[in-house]
Amino acid sequence: MTLVGALAGGFVGTVVLTTGLRLAQIAGLTRMDIPLLLGTAFTASRSRASAIGYVLHFLNGQIFALAYWAIFVAVDQAGWLFGGVLGVVHAAFAGGALVNILLPAVHPRMGSRWTDASQTPLLEPPGFMLWNYGRHTALVTMLGHIAYGSIVGGFSAGL
Amino acid sequence: MRGNGYAQIGDYAVIGDGRTAALVARDGSIDWLCLPDFDSPSVFGAILDAERGGAFSLRPVERFEAERAYLEGSNVLATTFRTETGTVRLLDAMTLSPAGRLAPMREIVRRVECIDGFVEVEWAVEPRFDYGQACGRTVERAGRRMFTHGSTALILSVWGAEQGASGRARLAAGESVLFSLASAHHQPALLPGRADTEERLEHTRAFWRRWSSQAQYDGPWRDEVLRSALVLKLLVFAPSGAIVAAPTTSLPEVIGGGRNWDYRYAWIRDATYALDALLNLGYHDEAHAFFWWLMHASRLTQPRMRVLYSIDGGGKAHEQELGHLSGHRDSAPVRVGNAAGTQLQLDLYGSVFNSIWLHARSHGDLGAETGRGTAKIADFVTRTWREPDSGIWEVRSELRHFVHSKAMCWAALDRACRLAEADMIPDRRDRWRAAADEIRNWVETEGWDEDLRAYIRASDLRELDASILTLPLVEYAGDRSRLDSTIDAVRSRLGNGPLLYRYLGEDGVPGDEGAFTTCSFWLVDALARVGRVDEAADLMDELAPLANDVGLFAEEIDPSTAEQLGNFPQALVHLALVNAAFSLEQAGKRR
Repeated sequence: MTLVGALAGGFVGTVVLTTGLRLAQIAGLTRMDIPLLLGTAFTASRSRASAIGYVLHFLNGQIFALAYWAIFVAVDQAGWLFGGVLGVVHAAFAGGALVNILLPAVHPRMGSRWTDASQTPLLEPPGFMLWNYGRHTALVTMLGHIAYGSIVGGFSAGL
Repeated sequence: MRGNGYAQIGDYAVIGDGRTAALVARDGSIDWLCLPDFDSPSVFGAILDAERGGAFSLRPVERFEAERAYLEGSNVLATTFRTETGTVRLLDAMTLSPAGRLAPMREIVRRVECIDGFVEVEWAVEPRFDYGQACGRTVERAGRRMFTHGSTALILSVWGAEQGASGRARLAAGESVLFSLASAHHQPALLPGRADTEERLEHTRAFWRRWSSQAQYDGPWRDEVLRSALVLKLLVFAPSGAIVAAPTTSLPEVIGGGRNWDYRYAWIRDATYALDALLNLGYHDEAHAFFWWLMHASRLTQPRMRVLYSIDGGGKAHEQELGHLSGHRDSAPVRVGNAAGTQLQLDLYGSVFNSIWLHARSHGDLGAETGRGTAKIADFVTRTWREPDSGIWEVRSELRHFVHSKAMCWAALDRACRLAEADMIPDRRDRWRAAADEIRNWVETEGWDEDLRAYIRASDLRELDASILTLPLVEYAGDRSRLDSTIDAVRSRLGNGPLLYRYLGEDGVPGDEGAFTTCSFWLVDALARVGRVDEAADLMDELAPLANDVGLFAEEIDPSTAEQLGNFPQALVHLALVNAAFSLEQAGKRR
């Protein structure tokens, strides 16, 4: 079980997660666009937002890989399967709280259930399990995070 | 004032907070409120069923006369009740939250104040959850009345009188009673205090005055334009930027009739009128937010666009009838959802492209991804324009080749060419211009009737359709004399005084309807754009007083009684009013 493996897994896992979400977008399954959501917190320019968002998304991938690694160390277990289980929890947290509640709370350009007529946000809120971005978004997000978790788990275990 | 428990549609005024809206009758009763959002089930629905819909009534006990107006430049409603013994003024508002303050999720504040003499007032809060299907539980919390149903809670706070879901208070000059009806959904309820409730009411009033003072119009119809702007802002769903067509469902197009539809969705066809109005008024933030909502919401279905989207961007609008509600003045059925959502309506592409053009011209940038998507939509129009559709009026009869739909496809491709020329989207102008020319040729041959001297409704329907009046609005490159004679023909055959029916032929739905108010403002706009400015101004002068006493328009008006009909207040009418006023102003400058 190695930290370097977890970080490498975090990078590869983020590539797979991002690519999977992008393919799902192109296939018309979801309007979820993580780099855009993250980047527009810093700029209103869509092109600059996407660039900033990709950097932030990969940084987040590393931060979550560290959290996964801490759990692996704590329970003294790592692997594709256990990583995948953590991925399910990760996706539920992302859809139920992180992107659904925390991101609108701090994002200066995103609406929330509390936004009233005195504000004019530019981005619609994601809603519970990100359903506002399309009915298949929860499923796509879940599969993406399972893939991410499995890769981090596998790399951490040195498989 | 009421017949069989119902106020007339024109007797209502609207208050809202950019997430939902309530209708307040002239007699002080709140008869419509959906919580937490526009498209949520109603908790007050007496407008659709006086017995089981639920309401929040508040009025003098004795016989009274009522007079209403919004406080200047605001969406805070003031109703003055005069009785034999005195006068009270009732302020109604849905509050907006000052930044950084703990406030209820949604809140209606009502303050009744005695101005002179003494007046006894009575109130009754009777929520009926889930479109009148559930009474919920009534409990006491911290000395206040709380109504709960599922994960929704309503908390009634009363200051200046005894707490209670119903009661009476005798007020002398200078005394007041303050009510807060706050709601919570999936969260703990917040119990407001009197001082912070008063503060929210003042903050709300100040916000609306500040916002409306930014409107950039100083023409002769300033009051009407300003009221329309304030209504439109109420109909913007603030969390997403979507604009609902109206905050109500199933208010009938004729009393006792069945043409009752749910308008609590955002229609794509309204986009061009919304962008035009908001940009003209100088509300660039709202225009920008609405445009991006439009592009985000349609992303899953592009290049095909849905007719309407829910306010959170979803495409589902399953239509069903609520058989347990009797309908406004027995106008059944009451429907929720809207089956028009699945129709093919080609005209909307013209609206979308005109919106993109207006936005791009205003902001100077679309972004590469949106540009590529826009070009794909233009390609889609070149492939699809020959198909029959349901048209702008969403007819439920067979699909036809509507002339308006084809002309709007021309507008779509013309705007695509302009965007490509400005280097904002990939350049496929050869293909788009060729298709646009083909469409124009079709409109000029199949869509023109020499006997009527007018563009007609559809290639196989030699009758008139007021939607044709929008051709000058989207700068359709038609022959000027043909546009002129079409305007005259529409006015002569579909007109009734200053009002217009949208068409007189069949549409697959039984029953009659009133005159379609939007069409009259389109007529003003069209007259102004073809240079008939005096005619346009005269018509505008005739139309403006047809609003109700607080300046609001429903979808339709009965030409024989001037009664407001249909969903209320309707965004499209107010958008058309604003755009007509600006067209008149610009035409006046050109003269």
